[in-house]
Amino acid sequence: MKKVLLGILLGVMTVMSALAQSKTITGKVTSSEEPQGVPGASIVVKGTTVGAITDIDGTYSINVPENATTLVFSFVGYLTKEVNIQNRSVIDVQLETDVKVLNEVVVVGYGTQERREVTGSVSSISNESIANLVAPSFDSQLAGRAPGVQVTTPNGILGARPIIRIRGVNSLTSSADPLIVIDGVPIVDNDRSAVNASNPLANINPADIQSYEVLKDGSATAIYGSRAANGVILITTKRGSDGKAKVSYNTSMGFNEEVERFQLLNGDQFVTIANEKRSNAGQSPLANPGVNTDWQDLIYRKGFTQQHNISISGGSAATKYFFSLGFTDQESAIRPNDLKRYSFRANIDHSISDAIRIGTSLSYSLTEIFGLNNGANSLSGAIYNSTRALPNVPIYDPENIAFDGYNVTANGATTGFGANLAGPDNNIPNIGFVIDNNLYRSRAHRILGSVYGEADLATGLTARTQIGTDLTLADDFQSLDPRHGDGRSSNGYVYMAYNPAIRWNWQNTLNYQTVIGENHNINVTGGVEYQFTRLYNFAGWGTDISDNFYREQNLISGSYNNQFSGGGYSEQGFDSYFGRFNYNYGGRYLLSLTVRNDGISDLIGDNKRGTFFGGSVGWRVSDEAFFNSNLISDLKVRGSYAEVGNVGLASFAAFGGFSPVLGGAGAGIGYARVANGGLQWETSKKFNVGFDMTIGPVSLTADYFINNIDGLILAAPTPPSLGVPGNSINQNVGAMRNSGLELRALATVLSRGKFTWNTDFNITFLNNEVTNLIQPLTGTYNRTEVGGPVAQLYGFKWAGVNPANGNPLYHRGEEIVQYNLQRGAIGWRAYDSSNPGDVSTTSSGPTQEFLGNTLPKWQGGWSNTFKYGNFDAEIFTRFSGGNFIMNESLRGLLGQGFSNNHASILNRWTESGQVTDMPKLYSGQDANMWQTSASNSRFVEKGDFVRIQNIVLGYTLPSNVLQSAFAGKITNARVFAQVQNPFIFTNYTGLDPESNTFSGQQSFGVDWNVAPIIRTYTLGVNVGF
Amino acid sequence: MTKFSINKFKLAIAGAALMGAVSSCDVVDLTPANLIPDQEAFATPARVESAVLGVYESAQRGFYLGSVQRGYPFGAANVQQGDMRGEDMYNDQLFYEITYVGAYNPQTANNNGMWISLYRMINRANIVLEGLDEALSSGVLTQAQRDRYRGEMLFLRALAHHELLVHFARPYSDNPASPGVPYRTFAINDVPKVPDGEAVGRGTVGEDYQQLLSDLDEAESLLPNGAFSRASKGAAIGLKSRVKLHMEDWAGVIAEHAKITGQYAVTSSVTAPFLSGSTTDNVFSFINTEASNAGVNGALASMFGNPDLGARGLVKISPLIWRSEFWLAEDSRRTLLTTSNGTGVYTGKYPDAVTYSDPNPILRFAEVVLNAAEANAQLGNLDVAVTLLNSVRSRALPATVPAFTAAGLGGQEGVLDAIYKERRIEFLAEGKRWADIHRLSGAGVMNGVPAKATSRSITNINFYNTDRAIPTDHSILYTSNLFVWPIPLEEIQTNSTAPIEQNPGY
Repeated sequence: MKKVLLGILLGVMTVMSALAQSKTITGKVTSSEEPQGVPGASIVVKGTTVGAITDIDGTYSINVPENATTLVFSFVGYLTKEVNIQNRSVIDVQLETDVKVLNEVVVVGYGTQERREVTGSVSSISNESIANLVAPSFDSQLAGRAPGVQVTTPNGILGARPIIRIRGVNSLTSSADPLIVIDGVPIVDNDRSAVNASNPLANINPADIQSYEVLKDGSATAIYGSRAANGVILITTKRGSDGKAKVSYNTSMGFNEEVERFQLLNGDQFVTIANEKRSNAGQSPLANPGVNTDWQDLIYRKGFTQQHNISISGGSAATKYFFSLGFTDQESAIRPNDLKRYSFRANIDHSISDAIRIGTSLSYSLTEIFGLNNGANSLSGAIYNSTRALPNVPIYDPENIAFDGYNVTANGATTGFGANLAGPDNNIPNIGFVIDNNLYRSRAHRILGSVYGEADLATGLTARTQIGTDLTLADDFQSLDPRHGDGRSSNGYVYMAYNPAIRWNWQNTLNYQTVIGENHNINVTGGVEYQFTRLYNFAGWGTDISDNFYREQNLISGSYNNQFSGGGYSEQGFDSYFGRFNYNYGGRYLLSLTVRNDGISDLIGDNKRGTFFGGSVGWRVSDEAFFNSNLISDLKVRGSYAEVGNVGLASFAAFGGFSPVLGGAGAGIGYARVANGGLQWETSKKFNVGFDMTIGPVSLTADYFINNIDGLILAAPTPPSLGVPGNSINQNVGAMRNSGLELRALATVLSRGKFTWNTDFNITFLNNEVTNLIQPLTGTYNRTEVGGPVAQLYGFKWAGVNPANGNPLYHRGEEIVQYNLQRGAIGWRAYDSSNPGDVSTTSSGPTQEFLGNTLPKWQGGWSNTFKYGNFDAEIFTRFSGGNFIMNESLRGLLGQGFSNNHASILNRWTESGQVTDMPKLYSGQDANMWQTSASNSRFVEKGDFVRIQNIVLGYTLPSNVLQSAFAGKITNARVFAQVQNPFIFTNYTGLDPESNTFSGQQSFGVDWNVAPIIRTYTLGVNVGF
Repeated sequence: MTKFSINKFKLAIAGAALMGAVSSCDVVDLTPANLIPDQEAFATPARVESAVLGVYESAQRGFYLGSVQRGYPFGAANVQQGDMRGEDMYNDQLFYEITYVGAYNPQTANNNGMWISLYRMINRANIVLEGLDEALSSGVLTQAQRDRYRGEMLFLRALAHHELLVHFARPYSDNPASPGVPYRTFAINDVPKVPDGEAVGRGTVGEDYQQLLSDLDEAESLLPNGAFSRASKGAAIGLKSRVKLHMEDWAGVIAEHAKITGQYAVTSSVTAPFLSGSTTDNVFSFINTEASNAGVNGALASMFGNPDLGARGLVKISPLIWRSEFWLAEDSRRTLLTTSNGTGVYTGKYPDAVTYSDPNPILRFAEVVLNAAEANAQLGNLDVAVTLLNSVRSRALPATVPAFTAAGLGGQEGVLDAIYKERRIEFLAEGKRWADIHRLSGAGVMNGVPAKATSRSITNINFYNTDRAIPTDHSILYTSNLFVWPIPLEEIQTNSTAPIEQNPGY
């Protein structure tokens, strides 16, 4: 019926355009979806209004002026294609699907669904704007691209794992990371390196990815059941489409640099400060003037970065293929951190007959990371060390051949003293020597493969089976120099480990689709799934090495005196029986129901199994007869509710017993965990309402959600004097609630002539509240308590510096107390603001209180893309705020020992009456002066920021230029320049407001000596053959 | 028709595949490969032996800041903390600064680490104690095996509680009625036992000492004699000698000494108890090995050793004792058990700076002898006391240095003073100083922690070998709240039913 109407219309139009002809061109427009022909596609002579439309079978005929050079083919859902006419009179064209617009079809787990019929909350992110960026892994680039998806890159170490939270923190002790599914296979998401931060997602080549789908609400995620408590990111890799082989090559090169450094004392300032600390404490001076060294120069660099990707795709009607090769080498801004990845992918789909299809996705990658010791509190930690090393001491000592010309004491114990009477606190080593000589290498071979078979058993009934494996073969090598640094105390250290991770996943589904009557659309899916994961590792290491020569590449037998070994093993099994029922009436009334019974090996007995329901409804208001708006072309409202579990619990969480322990008296068994057979699934109850609307050129999506998490599995703390292992027992205690609002707006702001401006804006408001807990959870910096959000900063409240004597002031309940920095009278004293000099009344120390929430309350992203002729540009902005950060880096840099300080220490109190926020210096009194055992409001700052994340500028070479220069051998070419992370607007005084030392849910919002985040400049080319 | 049958066939195949999958695949019934379940832990004699060794392991390698490291409580940390609370060893770095300068509070790591790791060890001992009786009744163990293991567990439980009392409670010698530490005699290994455990309060110091003695008396009766690496009858007696000294039960101290004189003896060599492994002086030690030790950040050799010999040298011998007139230059404990470099003098008691395998001497017979000397002096048996004192002292001195006499020392007070000083020399760098300050301050002999060489100030050997003035600081009066450590804040915060009371002033 539709096609008949279209045919009549086409006939009329063809007649109308047949007026001033001088040349006729005919041909056929096809696509991989419609190989028989695309009807209704438009053909326009470029730069004119002369046009035609294809017939029912995709054929067309157009009369073009003699001087016409180019035809423009376009149709909804396809990329517009320009073709040079040359002297041809027959031009056949194959259109390619426009993935961005192809949001029409959404991947939803065990299948796809049409966007217009989706009733859950699903955000799609195209890889187009991400693909060319330089990043160690794709996940960091998802930040700000979709509402409700929070991605934080916590430091500048390549290989460090971004923190991904979908709709907030949804668990306390169990995992809070989303499930990652690649081509239908849930992948292993464990860092398998013991020597480096090694993000498992860095093994995936971002260039192979076609699109991301983020499933957020209960209904959308319910089909993944218990693995979906924290949301799901579905990744679809590129696949071939039929037609001639297309080759594309993408490359970019540039460099990384640190966004900022610490402002430290120079050598001369240090001498003054260091000696003042000591003289105030009645101690003799140790520092003497020398040189002015910035040790940070040693650890930072401009790191070269490059990436190359080549892909071939194509196919016939029956067989389609996509192959790719990728290489990237990224040097971090911090020495000697480096990440290299070699990757290969082959995706093949084949139709054996009309009813039977098979296919495979296969990828292999080798990722090699060279890391470093960057422990926040490690003596050889690059940031810790370079900010504490004495600045009046030279880095090098060319005479000191035994230590490669570095300034090191003769016994190798610490950095040379220079003119000082003592070495640096804690005998920290010379970081230059350490970086040059200590090796931290991790390699991971990753094979992700799946095969599927699909058979149409009857009309509308399809059976599908898919077996996926995820294999990570990871090995580690660490080698420490015997002369100086971390390896000295054991006279050298070598370590090597093998840490494989293996998972298989088997899914069998039956799907039945039918239409009953005219409007009852039914789609039913049922299936079973099994998943088994095995993680194991073994390691050998040695100390007291015979010769430095042997420790460069690998363990070498016989090169060390003391030999050690170790290993570990864990496994997890998961199975599920599930069903989904989708119904819609004429596309207007939509209903989806899911049910799932999951089992997991980590729990005991009947508690292994849990049943989870979900359901959603939608109403396409704009399809109603009464709805008649010229402004609003599309309006759908939807609501959902579902329960899901959380499989991210600790391995064998409910089990207890004795683990092996190796004591001096012999190998034994030690009580390791209290069993809790009563442990049950942690359950999320997710509620979501939202609407999708198109108003004129603007598409709007809004969602409001509530997620109540019940029976939180918590390593519930026990009093240490009970001696319970780990001072905790896994129990279902507590409840939490996340709620929030998400908005996304897409629009073409301007489209005039050659200029178009598209904008894509999203914002999320989030609120987290713990609603039940047996007792507050208190860590060093954070505390989680009923009635507040997870991981609030908790600690001491600063009250300034007593101008009379320079003592630090803190709140003690309603009072203010001072820590008396007076020799012989050190200790807490009452403070009387009317008589500040009075230190006669002793007092107890300050008390603790909440100092601010650490979870951002709002965040989002704003992408603006511009096209002018062949030029394109994107400015991508990200913002976040409403949270507080504990600037532990700064507190540590105001230490009272013999080490370098932050430059702000120059404001210290020196004379009576001086008003400052920096107390009198006093050697060795850090712990009380700065109350280092918990957070301190003096160092708590707001974390609000607006970050210009990326600026990209591109130029696409005109096709006629390519035609004349390369005789059609190159079909398209684009050059681009980009800068990632160029600017940030924030009041935070640390290096970066996203710096975060801890990634766990209960310890958050602490910036403690993390490597600064990276800024990247690159130039690149995309070429298609 | 043909099409129909093909479809039927396919359906059957698919159905069969699904059914097969359902029935054949059981992936959720797994058990951990690294956890022996509670009910199987005492199922064989070998398992019981392993569980007993696990208690020793917890004593030697406990948790510190959430992971097994640094030799808490008895692998090394008891020595470091015990010495850093006193004046005879000097802190040269930030590592032990908080303990050394008295800057601890209810959240600082070292004091909390001792509390946490000692109680972890105690619960392991209690779990084994309960398991032993099951194993006996089920016939896994003989009565003799069970008795021996039970004796070991009681000894370790008592040792841990005494360490807790010395750090977290006021001395018995002052007031036995002051608050003690929770002393649990049952295991916490199941969720329902948590409230029972939380209900145990601090009690009094006196009650704790009674329980200690009761444990040790039973251990003494159950244990055979044995090597220094495991608790033996002699170890139980030696520890009783120490405990009774803290209780000022002088006759008791003398009686315990008498029980093991002959079985043990002070070695003529001052180095042998440290460098030669087992000697007649070594009553009980925790063993470290190259594979099981306190590590680079905790091992005694690493922290106390001379940097010129590959160690880290974060703690030196204090110039205060080094230059004291009572430590004679000829003393072989100076010449043979110390080393020096350009910045100071270090102990030589723990020489293995590469693999950290030095044992940690917990009880040496020399201590039992000096305990008996002190008890005799207190009871007025001055000649016996001096003879015992000389048996330790004279072996380290050349014949040219005359032995002490009661008269020469000026009577009871002089004899006691000489014994106190001898303890400082003999047990230097063995972590025993704090326990002496604790009990002697309670007894009124001392007035708290004496002044120490100022932290981070002894930067040159000339503080030791010239008369360069030694800066001092960090004394703590006995009356100060800082004299005893605070109860960890975590202990009070996480007890949801009956939190124990904090020490006053924190």
